[in-house]
Amino acid sequence: MTTALRERAAGRTVPAGTRGTGRRRRGRPVALFLAPFLVPFAALYLAPIGYTVYQSLFRMHRSGLGLTAPTQVFAGLSNYATALGDADFRGSLLRVLLIGLVQVPLMLLIALGLALLLDARSTLFKRFFRLAFFLPYALPGVVGAIMWSYLVAPGLSPITAAAHHLGLHLDLTSNAMLAPTIGNMLTWGWTGYNMLIIYSALQAIPAELSEAATMDGCSAFGIAWRIKVPLVRPALVLTTVFSIIGTAQLYNEPAILHNVAPNLSSSYTPIYAAYDAVNANNFNAAAAESVILALLAFVLSFGFLKLVQRRGGAL
Amino acid sequence: MKATSRSLAAAIAVLTAATLASGCSSSGSGAADSAGSAGGVVKLDFWGWAPGYDQSVALFNRTHPNIQVTFDKTASGSKGGYTKMLTAAKAGNAPCLAQVGYETLPSFAAAGALEDVTKYAAPGKSQFADWTWQQVTIGGQTYGIPVDTAPMALMYRKDLFTKYGITTPPATWDEYAADAAKVHAADPSVYLGDFGNDAYNYAGLAWQAGAGWFGTAGDQWQVSVDSAANQKVAGYWQGLLDKKLLKTDPSYDPSLYSDLANGTVLSDVNAVWDAPIIASSVKAGAGQWAVAPMPVWDAADPVYGNDGGSATAVLKGCGHAKEATEFATWMSTDADSVSNLIKVTGIYPAATAGLSNPALSAPDPFYGGQTIYDVFKGESAHITTNWQWGPTMTQTATDLGDGLGQAGTDGTTLPNMLSTVQSKTVAGMKQQGLTVAGG
Repeated sequence: MTTALRERAAGRTVPAGTRGTGRRRRGRPVALFLAPFLVPFAALYLAPIGYTVYQSLFRMHRSGLGLTAPTQVFAGLSNYATALGDADFRGSLLRVLLIGLVQVPLMLLIALGLALLLDARSTLFKRFFRLAFFLPYALPGVVGAIMWSYLVAPGLSPITAAAHHLGLHLDLTSNAMLAPTIGNMLTWGWTGYNMLIIYSALQAIPAELSEAATMDGCSAFGIAWRIKVPLVRPALVLTTVFSIIGTAQLYNEPAILHNVAPNLSSSYTPIYAAYDAVNANNFNAAAAESVILALLAFVLSFGFLKLVQRRGGAL
Repeated sequence: MKATSRSLAAAIAVLTAATLASGCSSSGSGAADSAGSAGGVVKLDFWGWAPGYDQSVALFNRTHPNIQVTFDKTASGSKGGYTKMLTAAKAGNAPCLAQVGYETLPSFAAAGALEDVTKYAAPGKSQFADWTWQQVTIGGQTYGIPVDTAPMALMYRKDLFTKYGITTPPATWDEYAADAAKVHAADPSVYLGDFGNDAYNYAGLAWQAGAGWFGTAGDQWQVSVDSAANQKVAGYWQGLLDKKLLKTDPSYDPSLYSDLANGTVLSDVNAVWDAPIIASSVKAGAGQWAVAPMPVWDAADPVYGNDGGSATAVLKGCGHAKEATEFATWMSTDADSVSNLIKVTGIYPAATAGLSNPALSAPDPFYGGQTIYDVFKGESAHITTNWQWGPTMTQTATDLGDGLGQAGTDGTTLPNMLSTVQSKTVAGMKQQGLTVAGG
C-alpha cells in the first residue's frame, strides 16, 4: 500500500467529535455540487422506476361493460402472478436467456479476436480496419435491423437466393431460424463496439511486457493468450455485463423483423410483450412485466460480476 | 448499452410526463378550451393523422366563426397515435376530438376515454346507414360520428385471369377455391390470392360471414371469436392453405406488392382504401386491373364485409361536447368537406349522401377506366349490420395477427388459433376488470 493510501485510510479513524463537525461544515457545498446530478437523477431515473413499481401493484377496476371511467385498485402481486403465469411471457424470458447465452460469448470472442488482430504489430491498415469493424455500430440500431430484415426476407433475400443456387433450401425467417437471425443482427451491430473497448484496454498494456515476452521466445499467439487476454480481463467483464443488459432488452431487432416474418410472435421478447401490454392499454401489466425484466437483467449482470469476482480472487 | 434502452427510457419518460401532467389537470380539457370560451369563440383541438383532415378543418373554420378547430397531426393510430390519445385522456388533458377507427372505439370506451354525445349526435343519425351508426354506438350510447367505411372487394388482374381460363371473377367462395386450384395447377408458381396476417382484413372476412366476435348483453360483454360461424370461415381458409393454393406473404409487405406486380399473385380481397394503395404500389400492369364484388357465401343472398373505417370521437373531459359533435357531424356530411376527404384523404364516405359524390364517379385508369366505386356502392347496402368490436381489440388483433402469421407453421391451424384468441381475449378482458358472459 502506498503512503497516500495509508494516509487516506488513517483519516477514516478520526475521533467521533471532529468527524461530526467536519461533516456539517462540508455538508452544504457537497450538496450544492451533487445537486446538478442528484436532481435529474431522481427525477428522470429514480422517480420513473418508483412509479413503475407502484403501477405494477395496481389494476384497473371497471364494472359491467366498462363504459364509465375505470378506477385504480390495489392488486398486490397479482399482476406479477399473471405475467409469470403467462406461458408466452415465460417463453419470452427463456428466449432472451438462450439468445444471450449463445450470442454474447460468440460476439465477445469475435470482438476479442478482432481487437487482438488490430493490436498485433504486423497488422496493416489498422485505422481502416478499426473504422470498418466499428462502422455497423455507427448505424442506428433500427436502420441496421431494417437492412437485415430485407436481407433475410423470404422472396427478397439475396442470401436465400444464393443458397438456392448452391442447392440449399434456406429460410432465414422460419421459426427455427428466427433466433439465429436475430443473434446475427445483434452480433453484426455490436461486435465493433465491444471490440473498441477491448482494443482500448489492449492499448494500455505497456509495450515492455510484449517485448520481454518476445525476448523470452514467446510466440505472437502466446503473447496474446498468456499476457494480453488476462490483462484485458476487466474490459471483457465490462463488455459482458453491457451485453447481458443489452440482450435482456432485446426489442429493435425482433420488432423490425416482425414486418417480414409474421410468424415472429408479438411476445417474442419481454420488452416486446410489455410494449404490447401498453398498446392494449394495460399499463399495470406492462409495469409488472418491466419490473420482472429489470430484475432479471439485474440478477444476471450482478450474478455474472459476483461470479468473476470470486474467480478473480482465486486466480 | 444497446439502443433499445433508449426506447425504454423514452417510454418511461412519457409515463412520467403523463403522471406529471395528470397532477395539474383539474382545469379540465386543456388550456385551449377554457381560454377560448371566454372570448365567445369555442376552441377545439382535434387529433388525427389522415392527410386532408386539416383542409376540412380549414373549411369549417372559415364558415363557423364561433367554433375554431385546431387539427394536430399525430402518428397513425396503430403506430402510437392511439396510445398517445389514451395516455392524454388518462392524464386528463385530451383534445376534444380524435380520429379513432371503429375497431378501436370500444377500447377507448372501456378506457373511460370517450364522452357520451348521444343527445347531440342523434339528429344526424338519419344521414348514415344503420350499420355505420352501430360502429359508434356501444350499449346504446353514441360516442362520435362515422367518417368513412371500407367495403371489401376483389381486386384482380383481368388479363392474367383470362390467361388462366377464368372468364368471370369468382362470385362465391366456392368458385374462389376452384379458381385458386385451377390457377395453381396451370402454373405452380402462381397463386390466385394471398393469405396475409392482417387481423382486420381477416375480421372483414368473418364480418361478411356473420361470424361476429363481440356483443353485449345487458352489462356483460360476449366473446364469440371461436363460434361455429367463425370455425366455418377459418376452416375454409385453412383448407386452401393446406392445399397450398394461396401465397402467404405478410399483408401490405413489399414482397406482396412484388408478387402482385410480377403476376405471381393475381388478386387481393381487400378494402376500398386498398384500391389506391395497390395502384400506387404495383405500377406494372396498370390498366389491366379491375375491381369486382368480393366473393360471397350464398349467391342467392349476397352480403359483404367491411375492413376499416373510422369515426371522429369526442374524448372524455371535452368541455364543449355539443360544439365538438357539431363539427364532427359537419365534417362527415358537408358536401365540400366530403369531396375534400374523398379527393385528398381517399376515404369512402360513411354519410349515405356522400356515396353519390361526383368525386366517386371518375373512371380510374389503373383499373382499366372502370368507375370502381360503383362496385363498393353496390356492396355498401348489403354489409352485414350486426358487427360489434370488442373493448380489448388491440390485444385481440395482436394475438390474431400472431396466429395468422403462424398459420401453417409448426402444425398450427386457423381453427386452433381461434380457440387461443378466444381464451386470451376473455382472460385479457377479465384482467382489465370487464365483465364477460360465460367466459
